[in-house]
Amino acid sequence: MLACEGLRKQFGDRTAVDDVSFSIAEGECYGLLGPNGAGKTTTIAMVCGLLEPDGGTATIDGAPAGSLEAKAAVGFVPQELALYPDLSATENLRFFGQLYGVGGQRLERRIRETLELVGLTERATERVGTYSGGMKRRANIAAGLLHEPKLLILDEPTVGVDPQSRNSILETVGHLGIAVLYTTHYMEEATKLCRRVGIIDSGRLIAEATPAQLISDHGGQDRVRLTCAPDCIDSLAEACRHLEGVSAVNVLEGGLELQSDHGATVLTRVVDTASRIHAELTGVEVMAPNLESVFLSLTGKELRD
Amino acid sequence: MVITCIVAPLALAAILGFAFATGGSNGHLTIGVSGTSTALVNAAEHATQLPPNVTVRQIATGSTLKKEVANGTLAGGVILSGPHDKLTNLLIPIVDPGASHSPGFDVVSSPSSLSGQQWAESLAAGLASRFYAGRLQPGSATDRAAISITSETLGNAGRGVLNYFAPSIAVVFLFVGSGLGMRSLLLERSTGTLVRMAAAPIRPNRIVLGKLLAIFITALVSILVVWGVTTVVFGADWGPPLGVFLMCLGAALAMSGLGVFLTSLAKDEQGAFGISLIVGLVLALLGGNLLPPGALPRPFQILALGTPNGWALVGFGRLSLLGEPTSSVIGPFLILLVIAAITGALALTRVRRMVRP
Repeated sequence: MLACEGLRKQFGDRTAVDDVSFSIAEGECYGLLGPNGAGKTTTIAMVCGLLEPDGGTATIDGAPAGSLEAKAAVGFVPQELALYPDLSATENLRFFGQLYGVGGQRLERRIRETLELVGLTERATERVGTYSGGMKRRANIAAGLLHEPKLLILDEPTVGVDPQSRNSILETVGHLGIAVLYTTHYMEEATKLCRRVGIIDSGRLIAEATPAQLISDHGGQDRVRLTCAPDCIDSLAEACRHLEGVSAVNVLEGGLELQSDHGATVLTRVVDTASRIHAELTGVEVMAPNLESVFLSLTGKELRD
Repeated sequence: MVITCIVAPLALAAILGFAFATGGSNGHLTIGVSGTSTALVNAAEHATQLPPNVTVRQIATGSTLKKEVANGTLAGGVILSGPHDKLTNLLIPIVDPGASHSPGFDVVSSPSSLSGQQWAESLAAGLASRFYAGRLQPGSATDRAAISITSETLGNAGRGVLNYFAPSIAVVFLFVGSGLGMRSLLLERSTGTLVRMAAAPIRPNRIVLGKLLAIFITALVSILVVWGVTTVVFGADWGPPLGVFLMCLGAALAMSGLGVFLTSLAKDEQGAFGISLIVGLVLALLGGNLLPPGALPRPFQILALGTPNGWALVGFGRLSLLGEPTSSVIGPFLILLVIAAITGALALTRVRRMVRP
């Protein structure tokens, strides 16, 4: 459905996108995960035909990105709430639907269907300016789905949205059944929604695989965080170093962090050991590797600012 | 947009219409006459061709007349002073009232009554002309029915003001309106709807032309509505319809192009709003839109020809004030088209950059 090969974009001296290549099959949800300024939006802009690439190609269903055929196949949901606040949701959809060549009864039917899909049927005739942030985001998505695109591109669609609306959006996107390119800096969203994830940083695609594969390859080990009384830290650290399954012990302020391939199993031994040496544990947390730790492992940086 | 392009100029036209369309005079006016010549005073009191709401009353003395003008009892007055038998210093009266006073006929007026001043001047001119004519034909100066008062000028002066200012102000609003249209494009860019449009399967040029066409059509409708309403409701006469339409079309094209181009230089919609108002005001002042015809000093009248609204006023003035035919505005119309072509091309370039990658 989407094939990007060696995409490149430069703004002055700054290379915003550097040799990015990826593809999305029909019906596949692909996530582009990276922090702010990584090049996600620039990549999307080139795919949507909003920016001319300085190098590389992108094709959508065989048509070059930016062509009328490619644009007709893409439903774009920008990061900004690209709706007219003085018009109702219905009026907005009617206008944008007509831009995509949807008209007459088909347009009215699609307006009803998309509003129902995003849960805005009851507020359809009210001005978008009166909506909550979450509702505006949902209306934004509806506008991208109106013309039944083959590829839906969502650029950070849950930014600034309450958790309930966020879940609603994720659920909606998850059940679409069409090809989706989803950019985000929330690793939970990428993990939950996407069959494959590309990790992008500083304009380069540094890794690409299923979330499980990425975590397995780059996520590192489980981390067990312990908090205890300050006078017990040293003795507990020494005791844990000799425990089976613990590969490393780091002393932190107020506690310890252990690394292990099987954090849950090691935890039992840690609790027994602490009890034996009379070290009182006040807090225990087991953190399995995730995309955030993958990103940290690959780039040395946190995923979020 | 509707408020700025249609409601605002209509409101201004309505104000002008109500103020000037009926000649600007309301109610009954009394003009006082006093002086040494009993015959002339009597002739004035019984002057013919006075409209029903104007009467002339004899006042005992000049000082009383001045007092009554000052306190508003009289709208104006004429004091006949000096020996009118001696005519050596009498100047030929000027037919157009208000142009100058004849010696021996002192016009007394109050700033609060423009109409009173005009009638008093008209009466003085009438008296002077009859007296001058009477000199050539001794005795006829005392003919009571021979004093003629021209009533055309004041009435036409009011409607003439409307004929001038209605198109004048409508032209200024063309710039403001087109600037606001461009502002809406900047707003679309900042809210993201322009991006959504650019992502749709539409050629970028169509978006650009669509936006510019909407701005031009709004401008044209705006000035046509003001023309229609002031003509039908207030009896304004802008001139021959074809000529007026050509000037409306030319002015809408030129002012739209200029408005869009200048406003596109703004970084955001707030800046665009400021530019459209400030530049609109400057253009209006430079072009003479806010002043009576001919009020600008000569160098500024030449400078006004550097503005599209200045050329629009040349065309509209020829039609409404000078009563010239449609052919007289071909020149200004063509100049406006040239301005429109240049500014339109510049505007197209700026807007295209906003829409295309």
